[in-house]
Amino acid sequence: MDAHVVHRAAARAGTDVAVTGIGLVTPGGIGVAASWAAVRAGRSPAAADPLLAGGPVAFSCRVPGFDAGALLGERRALRLDRFTQFALVAAAEAVAGAGLDPLTWDGARVGVVLGCADGGPATVEGQHDRLRDHGPDQVSPLLLPMQLPNMMAGQTAIQFGARGPNLVVATACASGATAIGTARDLLALDRCDIVLAGGSEAMITPLVMAGFARMGALSRRADDPAAASRPFDADRDGFVAGEGAGVLVLERAADARARGARVHGRIIGHGASADAHHVTSPAPDGSGAEAAVRAALLDAGAGPGDVQHVNAHGTSTQLNDLAEAVMLHRVFGGGPLVTSTKGVTGHLLGAAGAVEAVLTVLAVQQGVVPPTANLETLDPRMEIKVADHETETRIDLAVSTSCGFGGQNAVLAIAAP
Amino acid sequence: MFEQLKDLLVAKLKVTPESIVPEATREDIELDSLAVVELSMILQAELGVVISDDELLAAENVGEMARMMEERGAKI
Repeated sequence: MDAHVVHRAAARAGTDVAVTGIGLVTPGGIGVAASWAAVRAGRSPAAADPLLAGGPVAFSCRVPGFDAGALLGERRALRLDRFTQFALVAAAEAVAGAGLDPLTWDGARVGVVLGCADGGPATVEGQHDRLRDHGPDQVSPLLLPMQLPNMMAGQTAIQFGARGPNLVVATACASGATAIGTARDLLALDRCDIVLAGGSEAMITPLVMAGFARMGALSRRADDPAAASRPFDADRDGFVAGEGAGVLVLERAADARARGARVHGRIIGHGASADAHHVTSPAPDGSGAEAAVRAALLDAGAGPGDVQHVNAHGTSTQLNDLAEAVMLHRVFGGGPLVTSTKGVTGHLLGAAGAVEAVLTVLAVQQGVVPPTANLETLDPRMEIKVADHETETRIDLAVSTSCGFGGQNAVLAIAAP
Repeated sequence: MFEQLKDLLVAKLKVTPESIVPEATREDIELDSLAVVELSMILQAELGVVISDDELLAAENVGEMARMMEERGAKI
């Protein structure tokens, strides 16, 4: 065996990573149960958004009924941007479900790796208004502690006494998946025993939405918002902005077994790549994303034929979905059943990869491929099998793909417990 | 004046009402240095009284903050 193969085998031995806790805050609802039920039902909650009234696109996928004061305490919530509020609520669910007690764990061995695309733009925009209207003396001292992207990891550390490696990664809409891959590396390198990994995003603001609209990325289906996010459909016309968070508790599988933890699934591969092509358009043949898929499979010690299910990036934009479908067909043929849960959730941007990792864990665990909402007519140029209804099937290995503006790709291979 | 200060601490900074007594230090009511800057902004915006965050930080307790407000002629 040559050195490269020995090195790879050694790395793999340490990177059988168990998912022992999961938490979600999504437009489908607050908590894993509500979110998963909404995704399985295949109905989009996208609706007119009063905060966007008068803008070029005035609908979105908001988290319904999110009362941060009730969930986190009034005083604490007041000092947190919405993206950090989402992260803390999702993390609390994941930690509680993992059966871990932050009062007794060795905090120095607990890491936090989260991803987002933008941090707290709502805070920035609000304070910019104050600067313009009232001058610098009326700018909040909490502007930076609230809006900086890394703050959600710092606040998570404070909340749970997690004193190990602590960072936020940014690969735009791949950030959540990049965070999970990075967390897995930390466990493989024995830098931590537990990592809270995931992503959160709350960037549905008038300014951000104007920017997305100017790029031509958003669906304009204002007369029927619930039908606007339609991944892989021939009539798709752009993505619907969503918000929320997904957090997973990750541990080395051997550690999880030793403490008798309930294992939901395993993250057995991670692949990352860059298109090196264009800031917003994916390489038309999907070659960048393909490199990440193949790297994830290699990392998992698996081949394309081992994969039964793909939770696709599937944003509902013309360019992404076609490039991704071409790529998936080239790698997998017509084998695995593909879905894009963004039909229901909308596009959670930097949180998408984390939320979809949780949804993929649930799909594998329960043997259920959720439907791609609003898929009526598959784009005839696509030669892949896309689930237009919920399908029960045995899944040993699934792949979740994420692609970010900037050409960054992150892919996770997720196996049954 | 103490009651006005208490009302603002509760309404704007979500401090627990029961914790706000004249003898309470800013640690007792969990006002960190950032919250003190916010309080200075709030006093100016709501009551038209100018007390810098440094002055508020130097106050021994909530009662002294209220006395400062009185001295500076806070509009009620």
